Amino acid sequence: MSEYRLRIDPAGTPRATILIAPPLFEEANRTRRTLVLAMRALAAEGFAAVLPDLPGQNESLVPLVEVDLVRWQDAFAAVASGIDGPTIIASFRGGALIDHRARAAAWWRLAPVGGGSLLRTLIRARVSADREAGVTSSLESLQDEARTAPLLLAGNRLSPAMIAQLGASEAQAAEPLRSIGLGADGIAGTPLWLRAEPSEDATMAGAIAADIAAWSKTCGIN
Amino acid sequence: MTDSSSVDATLRALLADVLGLGEDRAAALTGDSGLFGELPEFDSMAVATVLTEMEDRLGIIIDDDEIDGEIFETYGNLLAFSLRKVTG
Repeated sequence: MSEYRLRIDPAGTPRATILIAPPLFEEANRTRRTLVLAMRALAAEGFAAVLPDLPGQNESLVPLVEVDLVRWQDAFAAVASGIDGPTIIASFRGGALIDHRARAAAWWRLAPVGGGSLLRTLIRARVSADREAGVTSSLESLQDEARTAPLLLAGNRLSPAMIAQLGASEAQAAEPLRSIGLGADGIAGTPLWLRAEPSEDATMAGAIAADIAAWSKTCGIN
Repeated sequence: MTDSSSVDATLRALLADVLGLGEDRAAALTGDSGLFGELPEFDSMAVATVLTEMEDRLGIIIDDDEIDGEIFETYGNLLAFSLRKVTG
């Protein structure tokens, strides 16, 4: 099934296409607006920018419980293979867990995160919500439960396969890769993906676009 | 990361990042400042995010047996808990 994707084109023929691997789960919502601002800034630099929905996320008709990381990697690779011309993959946070099987001329990652860390936060939110509801649960009891049945974590119904893959998943090697964080050596800005209430940062979006454009040049993609 | 002022600074920056407090509000937090139940942004997802970020930024492991409602009642309680974990 084909998924929705947001594509912003430059005036004229694109220099290259920037394919975005978005953060996963709630982090995607918190960063979406800033990502789209970065896409507009990239289009102003002559790049096409594509932000695909992953199956089970956003506008997808696929139930989230039916997907896992391997399916996300396949879906992302399929989007990449449909793009004409040179492609640079730009991954944010958990997006770095699903970007390495796609075909691309270069990779760029911002603040990649291990799947174990994302899973721990999701399970903790459930423990915390359970506690408020007067139910006793723990990281261990929920992880045991997740071996045989789907688990509802902060509004996400995740399959045993998804939970097992997420818990063990780390960003994989890709070449050539620029992997950066926030701060003096990376992108100036705040970790919007952690923010309890979604926010936006146009300056940070501009810095993201400028860094990706510079990396494109470094990789000889003009 | 055993110096108490650096734990304090790390914790304030973390709360600013998760709750979107801004530097001024984060700097103005005192030991008595209420967190969970007081700041509307501090919901169960924010609690979970704060715990995982505390582990990453302070280099500690937090067992959920150690977590009770009191830790998130005030900034002072959260700081005291963090200092115990970092030095313990």
